Amino acid sequence: MRKLQILLPMLLLALFSLAQQKIITGKVISKTNGEALVGVSVQAKRNTVTTDAEGKFSISAAVGEILNFSFVGMTPLKVKITSSTSNLNLVLEESNIDLNQVVVTGYKSEKKVDLTGAVSVVNLNDIKNNPVSSPMLALQGQVPGLYIQTDGSPTGANGAPPVIIIRGVNNLNGLGNLNSPLYVIDGVPTIQYQDFANINTNSIASIQVLKDASASSIYGSRAANGVIIVTTKDGGSSAAEKVHLQFSSLATWQTEKPWQEPVLSSTQRGEALWRAAVNDGSDPNTISTSSIYQYQWNNDYTNPVLNNVIVAPYVGGDSLEPSASTNWQNALFKTAFITSNDLAISAGNKTSGLLIDLGYYNNNGLMQFTYYQRFNARINAHTTAFNGKFRFGENMQLARTSQVNSTTDVGGDAVGDLALTLAPTIPLYKTDGTYGGPVGPGYSDRNNPVDMQYLNRWNTNNLFMAYGNVFAEIDIVKDLVFRTSLGFDYSEGLVKLIKQIGDEGPVNSFNSMLEQETKEFTFTWTNTLTYNKVFGKSKLNVLLGLEQVKDDYSTFGAANTNFAIQDVNYFQLSSGSGAQTVNGSATGYRLLSQFGKVFYSYGDRYLASVTVRRDGSSRFGTNNPYGIFPAFTLGWRINNEDFFKNVTAVSNLKLRAGVGTVGNQQIGNLAAYTLYYANYGTSNPAYPLWLNTGTAYDLQGVNTGTLPSGFVQTQLGNPNLKWESTTETNIGVDYGFLNEKIFGSFDWYNRNTSNILIQPPVPGAVGEGQLQWVNGASKNTKGWEFVLGYRNRTPGGLSYGITTNASHWVDKITALPEDVRAAYPGDPNHSIIGHSQFSIFGYKEIGIFQNQQQVNAAPSQPGAGPGRLQYADLNGDGKVDVNDQTWLGTTLPTLEYGIRIELNYKNFDFSVFGSGVAGKTGFDPVKYMNSFIDTRNNYGPGVLNGWTVQKPTSTPALSILNLNNENRTSNFFYVNASYFKIRSVQLGYNLPATMAKSIKMEGLRIYVAGDNVLAFKNKDFESKDPERANSFALWPVPTGFTIGINANL
Amino acid sequence: MKRNRIISWFLLAGLLFAGCKKYLDYQPQGAVAAPGLTSPTAVEGLSTAAYAGIANDWWDAPITSNWEWSSIRGGDSYKGGGGLNDQFQMDRYEQFYLVAPDNNGAGDFGFPGAWIRAYGAISRCNAALRALNAISDADFPNRKSRIGEMHFLRGHMFFFLKVMFNRIPWFDETLTDAQIALVPNTMSSDSLWYKIEDDFQTAVNDLPTTQAGEPGRANQLAAKAYLAKALLYHAYTQDNQYTVTGTDMAKLNQVVSLTNDVINSGMYSLQPDFAYNFLDGHDNGPESVFAIQYSINDGTQIGGRLSMSTSLNYFGGAPQYGCCAFHIPSQELVNAFSTDVNGLPKFDTYNNVALTDADLTTNGVNMDPRVDHTVGIQGHPFKYNAALPYDHSWERDNGDYGGFGTMKELQLATCACFKKLGPFYGTSVNMDVIRYADVLLMQAEAQIQLGNLNAALTLINQVRARAAAISPLVKNTDGSNPSNYKIDIYKPGVNIVWDQPTAFKALQWERRMEFAMESPRFFDLVRWGIAEPTLNTFFATEKLRHSFLANAHFTHGRDEYFPIPQEQIVFTNGLYTQNPGY
Repeated sequence: MRKLQILLPMLLLALFSLAQQKIITGKVISKTNGEALVGVSVQAKRNTVTTDAEGKFSISAAVGEILNFSFVGMTPLKVKITSSTSNLNLVLEESNIDLNQVVVTGYKSEKKVDLTGAVSVVNLNDIKNNPVSSPMLALQGQVPGLYIQTDGSPTGANGAPPVIIIRGVNNLNGLGNLNSPLYVIDGVPTIQYQDFANINTNSIASIQVLKDASASSIYGSRAANGVIIVTTKDGGSSAAEKVHLQFSSLATWQTEKPWQEPVLSSTQRGEALWRAAVNDGSDPNTISTSSIYQYQWNNDYTNPVLNNVIVAPYVGGDSLEPSASTNWQNALFKTAFITSNDLAISAGNKTSGLLIDLGYYNNNGLMQFTYYQRFNARINAHTTAFNGKFRFGENMQLARTSQVNSTTDVGGDAVGDLALTLAPTIPLYKTDGTYGGPVGPGYSDRNNPVDMQYLNRWNTNNLFMAYGNVFAEIDIVKDLVFRTSLGFDYSEGLVKLIKQIGDEGPVNSFNSMLEQETKEFTFTWTNTLTYNKVFGKSKLNVLLGLEQVKDDYSTFGAANTNFAIQDVNYFQLSSGSGAQTVNGSATGYRLLSQFGKVFYSYGDRYLASVTVRRDGSSRFGTNNPYGIFPAFTLGWRINNEDFFKNVTAVSNLKLRAGVGTVGNQQIGNLAAYTLYYANYGTSNPAYPLWLNTGTAYDLQGVNTGTLPSGFVQTQLGNPNLKWESTTETNIGVDYGFLNEKIFGSFDWYNRNTSNILIQPPVPGAVGEGQLQWVNGASKNTKGWEFVLGYRNRTPGGLSYGITTNASHWVDKITALPEDVRAAYPGDPNHSIIGHSQFSIFGYKEIGIFQNQQQVNAAPSQPGAGPGRLQYADLNGDGKVDVNDQTWLGTTLPTLEYGIRIELNYKNFDFSVFGSGVAGKTGFDPVKYMNSFIDTRNNYGPGVLNGWTVQKPTSTPALSILNLNNENRTSNFFYVNASYFKIRSVQLGYNLPATMAKSIKMEGLRIYVAGDNVLAFKNKDFESKDPERANSFALWPVPTGFTIGINANL
Repeated sequence: MKRNRIISWFLLAGLLFAGCKKYLDYQPQGAVAAPGLTSPTAVEGLSTAAYAGIANDWWDAPITSNWEWSSIRGGDSYKGGGGLNDQFQMDRYEQFYLVAPDNNGAGDFGFPGAWIRAYGAISRCNAALRALNAISDADFPNRKSRIGEMHFLRGHMFFFLKVMFNRIPWFDETLTDAQIALVPNTMSSDSLWYKIEDDFQTAVNDLPTTQAGEPGRANQLAAKAYLAKALLYHAYTQDNQYTVTGTDMAKLNQVVSLTNDVINSGMYSLQPDFAYNFLDGHDNGPESVFAIQYSINDGTQIGGRLSMSTSLNYFGGAPQYGCCAFHIPSQELVNAFSTDVNGLPKFDTYNNVALTDADLTTNGVNMDPRVDHTVGIQGHPFKYNAALPYDHSWERDNGDYGGFGTMKELQLATCACFKKLGPFYGTSVNMDVIRYADVLLMQAEAQIQLGNLNAALTLINQVRARAAAISPLVKNTDGSNPSNYKIDIYKPGVNIVWDQPTAFKALQWERRMEFAMESPRFFDLVRWGIAEPTLNTFFATEKLRHSFLANAHFTHGRDEYFPIPQEQIVFTNGLYTQNPGY
C-alpha cells in the first residue's frame, strides 16, 4: 500500500510527460555485416532502452531531444528528434577506438583500456573487400610498426611469404622469414605464415598486433619478432536463435601496363651497341653482336656518324625465326582476373554457436601461365554444459591452395628480368608457331620468358593445410577457470616439377619429372589456469600455464626421366623409362614452456602486470635448453583521477611503460650437433646444382649404376648454444580528446638484442661443413610510432574520419665478432658496428669527366677517361681504390606511414588509403639500364643519351669494355627509394534497409574499388615503382579495379 | 568440485616436473653424429667421400679442369662465351686486367671459389685420415692403402692450390679445425713443396701397385708419377719475384728415377690412337695414370656425376648444343700446330701469318695431326665424326672470338656419355690428371735439364711418333685428311741440331702440342719462368687479330699467381699475407 502511494503519483507524472513526447521506433544494424545489433543502448533524456533480438527498439522522446546510440565495439551515434522523426533505421559502425573493447592479448582477454603494452588492434573494416589472397597483404601500411614488403604476385612473394617484420629486424637474419612474427590463431601459436594467410577475412573476429616485448613476452621464446593474435568468429554471441548468412563476392581486373618500363626497340639497341663499340675504339661491325647488327657509318672514330643500322633478317640465320622488335613485357604479362567468394553461415544461442565459412579465391595470373587458387573452409563450434560451467568447442581451418608461380629460365634468370633484358630482335614465336629463342651468334644464353612460363605451366605447387584446436574450459570454483587446448597444425605440400624438352635455345635434351612432398605436423598442448577476482576497487587476474609443442617435418620425393609423351596427363612417375631416384629426410623440434602472469589494477587508475615465461627448446642441445623471459609493466589512466574529472576535453589519457624480454630460436633444428650426412646426390632437389657436395664416386670406373658413397660433415655443432634474447623498454601514451573525436596513441621503444644467433663464415682452409651457429652479436633498435585520428559528423549527416599512422625505427649493430664482419658491408676502416645491417657500402660518384684535363687533374682512378664516371677519393690519398668506399644508406626504410580518409553520407561510403616509406636507399634497375650497356641484354632508352664529346650529357659514355668498373656499388644507382602510394580507393553503396528487406535481405552493400592507383617517388629514382625497386625478378605491383558485393541474409 | 581441483593441480604439477629433459631431446634423423664414425664402413665412407671431394666442382670455379686458370691465361685459348661481359671475371683473368683480391666487389666466385672447393676436398681427406689413424689394421684391412690414398688426394689438392696461389696455408690431419683456422700462409714456397712431396711419398710408401677392380683409386705408380710432377715444379727454384733462378739437380734426378719406375712397370703405355684419350669407351685405359672419374645415370639428382667444370664449353650456335661456347682456341695456338717442310715445329716463324680456313685443308699448310684432335676447324670432322664437320655457324660470338672451336673436352651430343642440362653439358668421360705421355715428357724435361739430351730425345720422339700415326678417326668422308699432315720425329744431325737450348725448346713445344687445351700451359710457363715474355709477345700479335685484347698485359712478379682471396684474409682476421703486387 505504501508502495502504491509512491508509485501512483509517479505514474501520473509519467503520463503527463508523455503528452509532450512521441514514440520513436526503429532498428539498428551493424555496418560491417548488416546484422541486427542486439542490446544497443538507446538513451533519451529521461529513459534508456536496449534493442531486442531483432535489433528493434521503441522509445519515447521529445522533439529536439538527442538520442544516443551506443554499443560495445561500435562508434556511438547521436540522432536529433525532429517533428517528422518516427521510424529510425540506423547503422552502427565498428570502432577501433572503443575503450571498452575486449581484446585477446596472451592466453586471456582483457579490456583495451587496461592494456599496458604496445598493442595495435586492427580495424577489420579497413582490410575487407580487398582483392588480395591474404589478410596480411591488406595490412600493409595500416598498422604502425608492422612493415610488409611484397611484390605483385598473388601471394606477395611468388609463392613465398612476403617480408613481414614488426618494429624492424631484431637479429641478423636479414629480411627472410626467419624474422616472421609468431601468429596465435584462436590460442594456437604458429610461425607458419600460411596458417594466417589462408583465413577468410570474413571469419576473423579480431586481429591484434603485440609489438613490444612486455606485451609479447607471455609468448616467450618465439615472440622476439612480435606476435599477431587472431581470433575467429564463433557464431554464438547472439541471443537470437537465427541462422545468418553472409555472402561476399568480388571480381578484380589487374594490369601492370601503367608500371611497364620503356626499353629499346631492335634498331635502337643496335644504335646503342654501335655507339658503345665506337667509344671503345672497336670496329662495331666485328663485335660480338655483329651477327645481329651491321652498320653503315663514316668509320671516323673522332666524329662518328651512323647512317644505317642493318638488323640481320633472321635470328641465328634460321629462316623460321625472322628478327622482330618484341616488347617482352607485353608478351609476358596479361590482365589478371581475380574472383573471391566467401559464404559464412552462423547460428547460435546463449549456450552454443556454430560458424561455417566457405571461401574460394581464384587469380588467373598477371603473368602468362600462372595462377593461384584456393578453397578454404572454417568450422568453429562451441557449446556448454553443467549450467555453463563446462565449455568446449573446436576451431578448424581447412585450406587447399594450388598455384603455378613464375619461374626462371634454364640458366636461373627470373622471367621478370628477362621481360626487360632479353634482346628485342628475338620474336615471341617463330613462323612455325613454336617459341622463338636466342639461338645463334651474338645472343645471350637466356631464354624466351614466355616459353619458360609455358614449359613451367604444369609445375603446380599444392598445399593442403588443417589448422585449429579442440578446447575445454572448466570453472573449477568461482573465478577460477581451467582451460586445456589441443592445437594442431598440419600441412602437406606437393610440388610437381616437370622439365620438358623445349623448342627453343638451350633447354634440356631429356625430360624429367620430380614430385616432392613435404609434411609438417605441429602439435601444441596448452593448459592454463586463470583466476579473476575483484576486491573492492582492486582487480586481480592471475594466469598460470603450461605449453608443449612438438613439431615433425619430413620430405619425400621421387623422380623419373625420359617420358615418351610430353603431355600433362602422361607425366606420372611410372611412365618414365629413365633412371628413377628417390629422396627423403626428416627433422623436427620440441618446446616445453611454463608461464605465469599477474595483473593488478586499482580503481581503474593504476595498472600493473608481471609476466614470467620459461621456455625449453630442443634446438639448443643439452647444455642450455632453457631460457627465462620476464616482463613488467605499469599503466596509469590519468583521466580517471579525481583531479582530472573536470578536464572534459580529454576523454582518455593513459600512460604506459613496460620492460620485457623475449627469446629467439630461429636456427636449424639440429644446430647443436656436428653432423655427417651421406649425400649421394639426390638429397635435396632444390639445392643449387653448383653446390656440388656429393659423397658418391665411381671408384670402379664403370661409369654408371649405383656408386660407392660415403659421409661428409655438413655442420659443426655447438652444444653451448643458448637463447638469443631481446630486452625492450616501451613507453606509450593513449589519448582521446573531445569525446574521442581525436584519438590515438604514441609509443617510444628501445630494444637491445643480445646473444644473437649467427653463423660466422669460416676460413676456407677449415674445409667443408664447418659452419657453426654461435651466440655472437648484439643489436639495438630504437623507434617510435603513433596513430592520430580525427572523426566527426556534420549536421548534414556527413560523417568523416581521417586516420594517420607513422612508425620510425633505426637499427644498429652494437657488437659483432671480428671474423663475422666480412659477411656484412664495410671494410677494416669502416666497421658495420654502429650501422644498420641493411647498410649499403660503396663508392661516391661525383660526376662525369668531361675532358682529359679533368682526368689528369683528378686523383688517379684506373679506367678514368672523358665520359667516364668519377668516384670520390674519400681518403684523400690521391687514388681511387677499394679504400674509398663509404656508407650510402640503408635498404630498409626508417619511416613508414599511412593515411586513411573515410567519408559516409547517407547510404554511400567512400575511402582512400595510401601508405609510403621514407629513408630508404635502393638499387634502381632502370637507372642502371638507362646508363650502362653490354652485349647480352637490352637496355633503357636513356642509353641513347650517353655522353659523347659532341654531346656531353650526364649519362656515362657507352662502353662494352667497362674498364672503369662502373657496375661497382655506388650512389650512381643506389638512390633515394622513398615513395608514397595511393593503395586503394573505394566507393560503396548500402541498399536502404527497406529495399533490402523487399528482396529478403538484411543488408546489401555494393562497391567499386581501385588498387595501387598512383605512386609518388623521388625523381632520382628512375624506376616507376620503387616498391619493386631492387629487381625486376619481382612481379610488378599491378593496378586493379574491383567490383564487389556484401550481402546478409 | 574439490576433487576436480585436486586432479587439476596434480595434472599441472606432473607436467611441470616430469620428463622435461627427455621431451626436449630431439635426435638427428638420417644423419650420423660425429662420434659415430668409427666403424669400418664409416671409415670407408669417409675415404670414398674424399674421392668425391676432388671432383665436386662446377664451371664457375673448377678444381678438376684448369681451362679457366691455365688455358685461357696461357695463350692457348680465349675465354669465349657471349661477349666480353659474359663471365666478365674470366675476361679479367685472361687479360690480367683488374684481377683484384676481392675482384672489386664484383661478386666473382672464380678463384675464391676454387680456394674453397680445394680446401673442402682437403678437409675430407683429413677427416678420413683422422678416422683411419684411429682404427686398427685388423678391423680395417684396407687401412694402409686408404691412408696412402688420402695422402695422395691431399697432395693433389695442395698441388693445385700451390700452382694457383703459391703461398697457401698448409696443415695436416693432426691439427684440429680450430687450429687449422690459425695456420698462416707464411710457409716458404720451398717448404710447401716439401710438404706436398711428403704426402706423395707417404702415398708411394703405403699404396699397393694396383687397385684391383677399382681403377678410380690411386695406386703406387700414380703416386710416383705425381711425386715426380711435384719435384719437377720444385726443381725450378724461384725468387720472390717468381724469376727462375736455377734448377735443382737432385730433384731432377728423383724425377728421372720415379718416372723410370712408372715407365718400367709395364703397366702403362701410350694409347695407340691419340683420339682414345678424348673419347668415351676408353676411360682408365693404358695411358691414364690418374683420372677424375665421372659417371652417368648413376642415380644422382642431375643424372650423373658429370664433368661439369667444362660444361660451358659447348658451342652456342650448334643446334645439338645451344650454349655457351667458352674456351676458344687462340689463333696463335692453331698457328703453333703448323710444321715446316721436315714436319717439325716452326719454332720462330709459326706466328708470322694467321692461318685461315683456306690454309687448313688437305692441301694447305703443313700441320701437326694433333690439331684435328684439339681444334674445331671449318669443314673438318668434328669430334671424329666426318659426317658432322665443324662449322663457323656454331660459333656464338664470332665478332670477338670467331674462328675455331675447342674439342678435346667435348663429346658428340649423340654419345651415351653425354647429358644436356639446360644450357650446360656434362659427360661421363674421365678427365685425366696425369696421362702416360705426361710421364714421358716430365722425364724428358728432367733429362734435358740434367744434360742427358739423348734420353730426352727418345722420350719426346716416342710422343711424336704416336702423334704421327694418323688416326683413322680424323678422316674426311672421302677418306682424305682434313689438314695437310706433316710430322716427323726429331733426328739429330738430319733435321735438327739437338743441343740443350733446342732440346728444351722442342720439349716445351711438345708439351704444348700434346696437351693443348688440356690446360697445363700457364702453369708450365710459370714453372719455366717465361710467362711474362711469352704472354706479352702473344698479346702483342694477338691483339692485332682480336681487338678485345687491346688492354691485355702480363705483369711479372704479380700475375704468375692469383691473389689470396680477400674474403679469406678477412675471415682469418688478416692472418694471410697477400701475394705481391695485389
